[in-house]
Amino acid sequence: MERRNFLKAALLGSIAGAIQLKPENIFAGGSASAPGKNDLVAVMGGDPVTMYKKGITAMGGISRFVKKGQKVVVKPNIGWDKKPELAANTNPQLVAAIVKDCLAAGAAEVIVFDHTCDEWQACYKNSGIEDAAKSAGAKIGYAHDEKYYKDVNLPDGVRLKSAKIHESIIDCDVWINVPVLKNHGGAKMTISMKNYMGIVWDRGFWHSNDLQQCIADCATYSKKPVLNIVDAFRIMTQNGPKGKTAEDVVLAKALFLSTDIVAADTAALKFFNQFREMKMEAVSHIGKAEKLNVGTTNLDSIKVERIKI
Amino acid sequence: MYKLLKRSRVVISLLILVVITLNFLYFANRETLFFAHFLKIQFVPALLGAFTGSGIIFSLLIILTLSFGRVYCSTLCPLGTLQDIFTRMAGIFKSKKKRRFSYSSPKSILRYSLLALALISLIFGITSIISYLDPYSNFGRISTELIGRAEQLIQNGLSAIVPESVFFRTYSTFVAGSFAFAAAFLILIIAMSAFWGRLYCNTICPVGTFLGLLSRFSMFKPQINSQNCNHCTICLQNCKSGCIDAISCKIDESRCVACLDCMTKCKKGAISYKFSWKKKITEETPKDNNQGKLQSRERREAIIAMGLMGTLLASRALGFPRQIVSAPKITGIAPPGAGSIENLKKNCTACQACISACPNGIIKPATTQYGLDGILMPVLSFEKQFCGFDCTVCNQVCPNGALKPLSLEEKKLTQIGRANFRLKKCIVYTDKTDCGACDEHCPTKAITMVPYRDTGLFIPKLNKDICIGCGGCQYVCPATPEKAITVSANEVHKTAQKPTVEKQEKVKVDSFGF
Repeated sequence: MERRNFLKAALLGSIAGAIQLKPENIFAGGSASAPGKNDLVAVMGGDPVTMYKKGITAMGGISRFVKKGQKVVVKPNIGWDKKPELAANTNPQLVAAIVKDCLAAGAAEVIVFDHTCDEWQACYKNSGIEDAAKSAGAKIGYAHDEKYYKDVNLPDGVRLKSAKIHESIIDCDVWINVPVLKNHGGAKMTISMKNYMGIVWDRGFWHSNDLQQCIADCATYSKKPVLNIVDAFRIMTQNGPKGKTAEDVVLAKALFLSTDIVAADTAALKFFNQFREMKMEAVSHIGKAEKLNVGTTNLDSIKVERIKI
Repeated sequence: MYKLLKRSRVVISLLILVVITLNFLYFANRETLFFAHFLKIQFVPALLGAFTGSGIIFSLLIILTLSFGRVYCSTLCPLGTLQDIFTRMAGIFKSKKKRRFSYSSPKSILRYSLLALALISLIFGITSIISYLDPYSNFGRISTELIGRAEQLIQNGLSAIVPESVFFRTYSTFVAGSFAFAAAFLILIIAMSAFWGRLYCNTICPVGTFLGLLSRFSMFKPQINSQNCNHCTICLQNCKSGCIDAISCKIDESRCVACLDCMTKCKKGAISYKFSWKKKITEETPKDNNQGKLQSRERREAIIAMGLMGTLLASRALGFPRQIVSAPKITGIAPPGAGSIENLKKNCTACQACISACPNGIIKPATTQYGLDGILMPVLSFEKQFCGFDCTVCNQVCPNGALKPLSLEEKKLTQIGRANFRLKKCIVYTDKTDCGACDEHCPTKAITMVPYRDTGLFIPKLNKDICIGCGGCQYVCPATPEKAITVSANEVHKTAQKPTVEKQEKVKVDSFGF
């Protein structure tokens, strides 16, 4: 009983924590944020680490998001057993830079995990993320078995009313969503919201119950990431999300940071369209999420900073 | 000298037991394929591997036996060592008197019949008989099904105690028949070794019987010097093969496993290895009639067995097709490297090396998928995972060459089966919503998503020529109760067409696009 009570308390505590973060998200909807504290920062022209450093400074520094003693989760896309050059997964150097930054800001611990599609150990290893994250000081989270997931209600979801979400997301104080920008055969694009598929167990349910709606529904989960960092250093413009060869990959050298997940995906999609056409309406989970008040697609309504290196 | 030899024998045999067991354990075989090399020194893999890989090891094993008798049985065979351990353990619970062995007469009809059965079935291209009897394959199954499962339970217990450093290993599909076979065999071995030492090796094991026949012709044989012998019978009390006849001072070399125990125990130093090729000429003239009869019978048996082995080697060398083909209905997908189900059946002894090594845990012992003569052989199951595109582990560890080693490039084009798409079961058709799970997992893009009428939706389009049958699509297809996409087996593996490469035009982008 004690354990159950503890878990309940932890769950309630984390929900309370998430609600506290909400004003920030509402804030992001208006344009009256404090100076230097942008809602969205787009960076271009550097290596992943340099772009991250410029970007996070423009966002107001990591200490805006991560407080001393907090348990942090950094959630990259580690879906596939592919090398970093093939851009099927988030850039490992970017992941390492974020981990280091969180620890420098006083984070008690940083956990890096993903519910992979290919065999998990191969993905963790060959993506380069396990090594990069570990040497940066993070812990690797296991996510390959149902036992690591817990039921969470999604009261605002249209089709997805509940989901089994990874325990480290539930238990952490804050989490940072670090997707990679890719073309996707099913969802059309995979950016920040689609990256939520790596924090849930039963993805098959999403696929068989209106994928686009489920992606938007899961984004209504009360514990939102404090920051979305979209890796667009290398982008997969075709044959996504797994890709076949390096021919599917373009060196785009960009990075997007936003507190607003819908805005982050909108900005990244607009950037992507310069390489390959992909209509906003086709990536319908973005619009659906806006309808559910998750964020805004109107980039003019938020404070945006563009940085070219 | 024999004490030193015996100690080395014990050390080497234990090392080999450990190394071969490690090959079947998750914590060891996930890190390295090193242990798999040691499987190749096993007799049946060496015999079957002689024509798929190199015949060197097989020749060396024959030379070893022709030199010193059944050293293989006491030193290289992990099942032999395991039996010795059980014998010793049983000894703890026995009185000193009960611990003693005694001479037993050879069960010649049984052992030669089993050997002949195994060899003849092999000549006809059936490996089932040998795989049920072969000590190595049985040891592999015991390791995988019993020791491996125990390891998994221990790991999962640890993961509950230290969840951050030990991960939970997902339980994969359980094949009860294979588990039961391994357990039953282990019980048989425990019982036989606890009461009768190496009885299994001398009556049932076809490898032991064959090497025993070969030992009749070996260069050095253990012999009792009747002048030194005081008939104290300490040798036969310690002989786990029960092959020393103290009355006539004879050692039955066909059943002697060269354990050296008698030589180290004999206080008179009356037992030793003797060079016996020179003597042969004198042996041609039998001393007494009875012995002559015995010798000629033994020789006949040996010649028949050699003839069968020769036929087997010849038929394999000439690449004879399998003579007996079981029920034609084949639904099992053989692992990459098998070449064809026929080749698998001709060479696989179901040791489960590939099953325990598969990182995705998708290789399972077959029940009925390959027909009667393919029971326990490896078959793919896409229920909980699919075949990793960048993985060749199964065909690297196979010691028999039933799965031939493939380079990664070859593996990526090896079509083990082909996907079939049924539109009417597809989510996009039934629910009118986006899905694309199959396309997402397809490594070769045999599946692409194409516009579906004018619904604005996209539906899978399948190019079977590029498909390699990895099962990613089948595994992930969310359609229930029936999957919209499933892989059916290629009875003969094919080479898939190379996936097309779509070149992209370089676009110069200087702005953010918003």
